[in-house]
Amino acid sequence: MAGTNPYVKEIIKDSLMSIGEEMFIALARTSMSPIIYEVLDYACGLTDAKGNLISQGNGVTSFIGMLSPMVKSVLDKFGEELKAGDIIIINDPYIGGGSHLSDVGLVMPIFHENKLVAFSANKGHWTDVGGKNPGSLTSDSNEIYQEGLQLSGVKLFDAGVLNKSVETIITDNIRLPQFSIGDMWAQVAALRTGEKRFKELCGLHSKETIEQVIADLISSSAEYSQQVIASLPKGVFEAEDYIEGDPEKGGPYKIKVKVTITEDAFICDFRGSHPQVSHPVNCSYFGLLASVRVMYLAIVQPQFNITEGLFRPLKIITDEKSILSAERPAPVSMNFEARLGGAELIWKALAPEIPEKLPAGHSLSVCSVTVAGTHPDNGEDFLIVEPSVGGWGAANEADGQSGQFCMGNGETYNVPIEVAEAKYGVLVGNYGFRKDSSGAGEYIGGRGVVRSYEILSDNQYLSATYGRHQFKPWGMKGGEKGASSYIEVHKANGNIIGPLGVTTRLPLDKGDVVELVTPSGGGYGNPSDREYGKVEKDIKNGFYTEEEAMDQFGYKQR
Amino acid sequence: MKVTTDIGGTFTDLLYMNDNGDFVFDKAHTTPPNFEEGVMNVMAQSGLDYESIEMFIHGSTVVINTLTERKGSKVGLITTKGTRDVLEIARGNRPDLYNFKYKKPEPFVERYLRLEVEERMNYKGEVLQTLNEQNVIDAIEYFRDEGVEAIAICLLHAYKNPGHEIEITRLINENWPELPVTASHEMIKEWREYERTNTTVLNAYVKPVMESYIDSLDGRLNSKSSNNNRYIMQSNGGITSFSDSKKYPLNLVESGPVAGVYGAAILGEIIGESNIISFDIGGTTAKCSLISEGNVKVSTDYYIEKNDKYAGYPIKVPVVDIVEIGNGGGSIAWIDELGSLKVGPQSAGSTPGPVSYGQGGEKATTTDANLYIGRLSDKNFDSDVDFSQVREAIDKQVAKPFGTSAEDGALGIIDIANSNMLNALKLISVRKGYNPQDFTMIAFGGGGPMHAAELARNLKIRKVVIPHAASVFSAWGMLMSDARKDNIQTYLKKFGALDFEDINKQWTDMEKASLEDFSKNNLDRFPIKFERSVDLRYEGQEHTVKMPIGNDEWNQDFIEEAKIKFHEMHEFTYSFRLENTEVEIVNMHLTTIGEIEKPALKELEANGLELEETIKENRNIYYKEHGWVKTRIYDRNLLRKGHLVEGPAVIEEKTSSTLILENQQAEIDVYGNIILTIEVR
Repeated sequence: MAGTNPYVKEIIKDSLMSIGEEMFIALARTSMSPIIYEVLDYACGLTDAKGNLISQGNGVTSFIGMLSPMVKSVLDKFGEELKAGDIIIINDPYIGGGSHLSDVGLVMPIFHENKLVAFSANKGHWTDVGGKNPGSLTSDSNEIYQEGLQLSGVKLFDAGVLNKSVETIITDNIRLPQFSIGDMWAQVAALRTGEKRFKELCGLHSKETIEQVIADLISSSAEYSQQVIASLPKGVFEAEDYIEGDPEKGGPYKIKVKVTITEDAFICDFRGSHPQVSHPVNCSYFGLLASVRVMYLAIVQPQFNITEGLFRPLKIITDEKSILSAERPAPVSMNFEARLGGAELIWKALAPEIPEKLPAGHSLSVCSVTVAGTHPDNGEDFLIVEPSVGGWGAANEADGQSGQFCMGNGETYNVPIEVAEAKYGVLVGNYGFRKDSSGAGEYIGGRGVVRSYEILSDNQYLSATYGRHQFKPWGMKGGEKGASSYIEVHKANGNIIGPLGVTTRLPLDKGDVVELVTPSGGGYGNPSDREYGKVEKDIKNGFYTEEEAMDQFGYKQR
Repeated sequence: MKVTTDIGGTFTDLLYMNDNGDFVFDKAHTTPPNFEEGVMNVMAQSGLDYESIEMFIHGSTVVINTLTERKGSKVGLITTKGTRDVLEIARGNRPDLYNFKYKKPEPFVERYLRLEVEERMNYKGEVLQTLNEQNVIDAIEYFRDEGVEAIAICLLHAYKNPGHEIEITRLINENWPELPVTASHEMIKEWREYERTNTTVLNAYVKPVMESYIDSLDGRLNSKSSNNNRYIMQSNGGITSFSDSKKYPLNLVESGPVAGVYGAAILGEIIGESNIISFDIGGTTAKCSLISEGNVKVSTDYYIEKNDKYAGYPIKVPVVDIVEIGNGGGSIAWIDELGSLKVGPQSAGSTPGPVSYGQGGEKATTTDANLYIGRLSDKNFDSDVDFSQVREAIDKQVAKPFGTSAEDGALGIIDIANSNMLNALKLISVRKGYNPQDFTMIAFGGGGPMHAAELARNLKIRKVVIPHAASVFSAWGMLMSDARKDNIQTYLKKFGALDFEDINKQWTDMEKASLEDFSKNNLDRFPIKFERSVDLRYEGQEHTVKMPIGNDEWNQDFIEEAKIKFHEMHEFTYSFRLENTEVEIVNMHLTTIGEIEKPALKELEANGLELEETIKENRNIYYKEHGWVKTRIYDRNLLRKGHLVEGPAVIEEKTSSTLILENQQAEIDVYGNIILTIEVR
């Protein structure tokens, strides 16, 4: 190694980074499903030969923490049996990298000169993986067996040869297989791109140099995160909150965290949270890990590409079989509720300590919506599966952001009205900010959004999970709470169903209107401290009447 | 005679061809905010005869500057009931994934100036609710009270049926005739309401500024010349009339940079190369674009201010596909939190500029690195170079932290800059399925000739062309450009469900509309040709493949052939095909070109010099493998056809230097272009 020009290492680092990005682009462009190509609900990356993350491209935050545990579980299971050209398919939430069955991962070992040198891996949200509900998002399952096809890590490709039986089993067990199988091929193509590029790199530089660069990448990011941790306020910080279940089946379920920050460790102790439930709002340990990593990154805020080393100071402690670390056969379809709920506790505990990094509470919930039905014009089945934008909390120097996807999402795009109306049997009557209150404060919380679907054909079904329905996003430093989410269905006959937070397979017919309303964020600081000019502008922009402004901010027209 | 003027950030350039067939180039300072001043100055300075101007072609950064400096007008927006917040919700994405204090791009129209009117179309363009005209009248009054300076209209599904937008425009024209109005359908007929709304709003935002700019320029030109054949460069690589540019100024958003790409295509045609990678390095950025089989790629996937941490603003106007990265001669070298060496995107700009400019710049840049290791000559700098300062900057900022010599530090800077540019070049080539070996690189701009040899070697490109007058090649491209319009219409139909009569009519309607547009803008005096292409995809996919489709009538045989071609193109681009999946058309794309006669390139006269006599000096240059080596430096002005320069060597002219590495050789063609052969074995 001695004698290698240090700048060559920089070039190798650069190349490694661009491999993750290239895989990401390749997958988006070849995918068949809107949830991948529009919502970018997937991630791609490279790990070293031991499964440590070295390069990634991801569209949603949560997947960042899922690739390396997934690769590690493949290593555990197959070890020496791995061959060049193998591709392993895995969606089991209870072993590495699991969120729910809909997120399907593919892992490919990369060999150079007959030696395992790295892994190329990706994970994407499939439109359907079977199970009791179209779209495979079930808000009323009580065992994982109802949620879809389980793949605990099986060889889809054996030494480059497609295992047709596995493909057949998958095709036979899922709805709209042309989409998901199309996505599977897109994932395969992206993995192969990663493999090809990595091998090209191996052709240009010695294996030792590349291994050294990878080790450097991981150790330098570990050193960096140690420095950041050392600069944080030390102590024990606690928070509690609730995971909202389905009121008809149970909940809300209390969760809690104790964050301990020392000179060199960042420990998140979730013990004492509610035990696992037979309602699909549990998450597995690996699901929690993924979201806690997101939260941790929001605190460490690295400006460079993320590697495994960054997470070295992070420790997570849970009870066994807790709602935040559920075990088989607990249902986990709506796992993001627990995953994000658990991670956001850390946010809530630390925001007052580090307001320069963290704002007040946000919409938190993915606010997932599924509408299934038949298109009135062409008679074809359609399926909407989408997250919804909500309001973010106000910060120490700015109002909260309005209409933005929650912390679990990221480079996630909403579905345009014009695209939705062409593809689905709905008409979007309204897509705008909610007009009722958001968290008042010196800085006000961002607005949630109203999206309404007028249903254009009979026999459609709605399933949705809107969190922060019973508990509003929290305010901070004297700021008010935000506004809670709700769903209302205005039936064609004038009846109103709701407000609801959760609904499963609610029948809809032509002329019904579904109103989906996402949470508004919490406020920051005392409302009476809000600048006069800003309140005036808020009124002009139609966010408050003068009376409301008087009530909430002590506004008097000058 | 044809004259081009191009306003850049620092200089306003002028280029024309005189009676002897020689290109004449001049530059003067850019004069914000009265940019026309700089244009008149450079023309006066060059001493050209105004009355001999037959055609005046202008390129300008006024539009992009107005946008980035937020110096446009107060815009009022009219939207469909229920959608006033679409502009602010945007797409809801948060590209800076781990920043929980991320701020979305602020909309160019605040909420109180975004009004809704009752009206509704469905996706088929059928009217569900007629337009409430009173809503429009009320909106006009409200905007008048608020002092609005321009109005934008964007209604749902107007790409399919613009009826209500046309009605609203008429009502505004009747009630407030002097106010500039932009309706979305006039600019784009593609779906996705946020992108369309933002585009419409930005056009309205720059319209008054552009109108007054063009009017004053026009006025100044009128006082000098009676010929009013005046044109302006658009982002699609073609020109249009002054009057058109006042209506749709946003079409000029990338006015300058695309001219170079177009120039590369034209030069390729002249020298017999149809597969080209155009590569342009300026002071702050590097830009590259891929030209396949002579086709400059034009799409509507353009954004301003977007980067990997910020969503930016989509502008869906036809723009030549360019990948631009923050890596130019002035890009600054720095070390990140992890101790990795980075170059750019921060640039020292023209002031203070690189350390070597001696204007107070303290940060080591790519130019400093190239100068320090001898690839650039200090004799070509405007002022004396203080080498000790350059050395100190490189040493302290790069070499010391990595424990290397300053020479290796300088090479490190160049390597990182090249690595960045290599990624950009791969993005347009290998990542899209193209093999760089099938392409010729045309490198220009001040820095292109310096970096081309190394990048081409890495990409395994075999041939690089450094055009004559490489540093003003973009202006040359402008001189060579045609009149051009790109009309794109969303037309969502599965191949199996196509109504041939309808789509054939759609094509001819588009052609008819385009011809009218050409005649309105006095562009119909050029011979006109149409080029059709379609954006196709497999059913269920989102992303499309743009496919040239020929101008034949559509029928069953036609689409069967198109399908075969699409499967091939899809496999080429994405590495797989889905033979049994239905093919869907998303957009029809009609390009209308008015072909303008191009000045013929002049052949350089032989000068009878031996190769040895063209050597300026022997200079020490530092190489990774060999250290400092005396290297021959040739004078480009003396090189002629027949001269063959073996690398390592540098060919110098005042404004750019071409590096030739070991095992590479350079020939000069009859026009004075340098033809670099990359691997000579």
